[in-house]
Amino acid sequence: MHIVEVSHLAKRFGEVTAVADVSFTIEPGEIFGLLGPNGAGKTTTIRMMMDIFRPDAGEIAVFGGALDMAKKRRIGYLPEERGLYKDQKLEPTLVYLATLKGLDEKVARQRLGEWLERFDLAEHRSKKVQELSKGMQQKAQIIATLLHDPDLIVIDEPFSGLDPVNTRLVKQVFEEQREAGKAIIMSTHQMYQVEALCNRIVLIDNGRSVLYGLVNEIKRDFAGNAILLEGEGDFATIPGVLETRKQNNGTWHMALELGVDPQAIFRHLAAQNGTRIERFELAEPSLDDIFVNVVSGNKEDS
Amino acid sequence: MNNFWLIAKHEYKRIVFRRAFLLITLAVPIGFAALIGLIAIVQETKKSEPQPIGYVDYTGMVELARYPASDEGMTPIVEFTDETAALDALQQEEIAALFILPDTYPAAPQTELYYLENPPDGSAWRDFNFFISLNLLASYPEDVRHRLIAGGNITVYDIVSGREFREDGTINVVFPFIATIIFFTSTMMASGYMLEIVADEKENRMLEMMLTAVSPGQLIGGKAVGLLAATLTQLTAHILILAVGLIIATPYIPTLQQLVIPWGYVGVMALFFFPAYALIAAIMIAAGGILPDVQQSQQIAGVLNLLFILPLFSVVLIFENAGSPLVVFLSLFPTTSFLTISLRWGVGTVPLWQIVTSWLILVTTTGLMLWTAVKIFRAGMLRYGQKLNLKGALAALRS
Repeated sequence: MHIVEVSHLAKRFGEVTAVADVSFTIEPGEIFGLLGPNGAGKTTTIRMMMDIFRPDAGEIAVFGGALDMAKKRRIGYLPEERGLYKDQKLEPTLVYLATLKGLDEKVARQRLGEWLERFDLAEHRSKKVQELSKGMQQKAQIIATLLHDPDLIVIDEPFSGLDPVNTRLVKQVFEEQREAGKAIIMSTHQMYQVEALCNRIVLIDNGRSVLYGLVNEIKRDFAGNAILLEGEGDFATIPGVLETRKQNNGTWHMALELGVDPQAIFRHLAAQNGTRIERFELAEPSLDDIFVNVVSGNKEDS
Repeated sequence: MNNFWLIAKHEYKRIVFRRAFLLITLAVPIGFAALIGLIAIVQETKKSEPQPIGYVDYTGMVELARYPASDEGMTPIVEFTDETAALDALQQEEIAALFILPDTYPAAPQTELYYLENPPDGSAWRDFNFFISLNLLASYPEDVRHRLIAGGNITVYDIVSGREFREDGTINVVFPFIATIIFFTSTMMASGYMLEIVADEKENRMLEMMLTAVSPGQLIGGKAVGLLAATLTQLTAHILILAVGLIIATPYIPTLQQLVIPWGYVGVMALFFFPAYALIAAIMIAAGGILPDVQQSQQIAGVLNLLFILPLFSVVLIFENAGSPLVVFLSLFPTTSFLTISLRWGVGTVPLWQIVTSWLILVTTTGLMLWTAVKIFRAGMLRYGQKLNLKGALAALRS
C-alpha cells in the first residue's frame, strides 16, 4: 500500500490555477522530494494532501484512503509558514502540540527530554519561544513534527535557518526515520540536500508534474552521451569521441559520437601505453542542472 | 482528553496565568469593595456623631419635648430663645445649622436657615422636618399623627410576573447596574481576547500545524470555551468578593438591607449571557479571520462592541418609556437584548413573549454566526497579511 497516492490533482483560486495536474505516490521507508520553482504549486499540493484545502479535481489517498482525524495523528507536518506560540515556554508548548496529536502527556514529556538533549535545547526548555534564536526555533519545530512518532513526515524547507552542524544533525535524524520505515516528503530548494537524501522526486512546474521518478534514473536520463576523465595522456584523438574539452578544474569532458559505448572508450584508454586514468565516469548532470534545464525549458515552451 | 477540551484547557491556563488577568480580577472587586467601605465609613461616621442643630421659635407653637431625641441616630435639636445667642452658638460651632421659625409660620410656610460653610446633611433636614411635623400635628391623635408623617408608600404588584415595585425601590436598579458592569467588562474582555487569539494563530504561523491535529471548529470552539471559562472564573471571583463586601457592608448601609436577590432575574440573565457571549466571540472570530492583522481587527472591534452596549446610550428612554417601539426593538435585537432586558427589569417587567422571542432570536443568530465564523476563519486563516475580500468570504460560506 502506498503511504500517499496523489492522482491528477487540480486546484484553482479564482482565476489563478495553482495546481493543474499533479500525480505521485509515496512509499514507506523513502524520502521523497517535492521540487519546483517558487509558485509552482508545491505548497498548495501539500495543503491539499493535508486536507487544509479541498482539491477541485483529482484524488488523494493517505494511508489508503481519505484523511480523517485518526490518520492526521500519524502525520508530522512542518509547513512552509510555521512558528510556535512566541509568548509561551518551549517545553509546555511542545508537550501541548504532542498531546493534540494523541500522545499521552507523560510520554510526551519523557520523549521530549530525549529530543531536547539531542538537539541541544535541554537547557532552554523553560525559556519563552521568542527568547530562542531562529535556528533554535527551527529545531524546536522539527521536534514538534517528530515528537509523536509519525508514520508520515511532511517537511517544507527543513534546513532553513540551520547552521552546517545542525543541518547534518537534522539530515541524520531524517535518515534514521527513513530507516525506521517512515515515509518523508521533503520540499526544498536545496538541490544538494535532495541529492543526498531523496530516493525519488517529483518536479512540479506551472502546477504540473514535469519530472517524476528515482533520482538516479532521472540523472541518468538527463546525462548526455559524455564522460568525465581525470588523468594524464593523449586524450585529444580517441576514436568515437566527438569533442574533447578540458574544464577549469582540470577534468576532461568528452562528448561521444552517437551509439558509442563509454565502456569501449574506457577499454581503448586502458590499452594505451603512457596513459594514466585517475577518474572515469559518466557525465551525469546535477539535480540543480536538471531543475534549471527543465524549468527554463518549460518557460521557453510556454 | 478530547482535543477540543485540550485546547480549551490550554487557552484557559494561558489567559488566567497572565499578569493582566490577575490584576483585573483583583483590582475591580478591590476597587468596588473600597467604594462600599468608604460609603460604610461615611455612613458610620455620620451615624455615630450627628451634629446638633438649633432653632429659634417666634411662633410659640413648637415644643421641644415632642421630639424623640433619645431615639438612636436622631439629630440632637437645641432650642434657643435668643437669636443672637443662637448665632453665637453657630459661630462657636456648637450647632451645625440654625433654623428660625418666624411668627408668620406656618401661614407663610417659610423658615430661615443659617449655617457656616456647609448646609446640614440629609438626616438633619429629615429630623428637623419630622420635629416640625410632630408639632404641627400635635392636636391629632397619635396614630393619625404618625400615619400622616409616614405619608404614602405605594407598592405596585405585577400580576403576570408576581414582582412588586415599591415607591422607594431604588434598590431594584442595583442588579441591572451590576449586570451591566459585568456584561460590559465581559464583552470588552471577550472581544479583545478573541481577536488576540485569532491574530495569535495567524501571526505565530501556528494554524497549518494545528490544523493537522484539530478541525477549525475544534480549534476555535476550544479557544472560545477556554476564554469563557476564564471569564467565568473572573466573574465568580468578582461575585464572591462582592458578596463578602455586601455582607460586611449591609449593617452599615440601610439601603442594602432591602436587597433581595431576584433569582428569576438572575436565571433569565444567565440564559441570555451565554449566547450573547458566544455571539460576541463569533463576531470577533469572523473579524479576525477577515482582517489581516491585530491593529485593523481592534479598530473594527471597537465599532462592533458598540452594537452590544447601544442600550447604555438609550438608558433614559428605557427608564422613561420601557414599552416604546424602539425599546421593544432593542429588546429583540440579538446584540442589544441582554442589556435592554436587564435595564428594563430595573424599572418594570418585560412581557414574557418578548423574553422568549428575544432569546430565540439571540440563540439562532449566535448559531448562524458561529457557523459563519468557522467558515470565514477557515478561508481567511492562511492569508497571512492579506485581507479576505467579500467575494472570498461569500465563497467560503457557500463551500
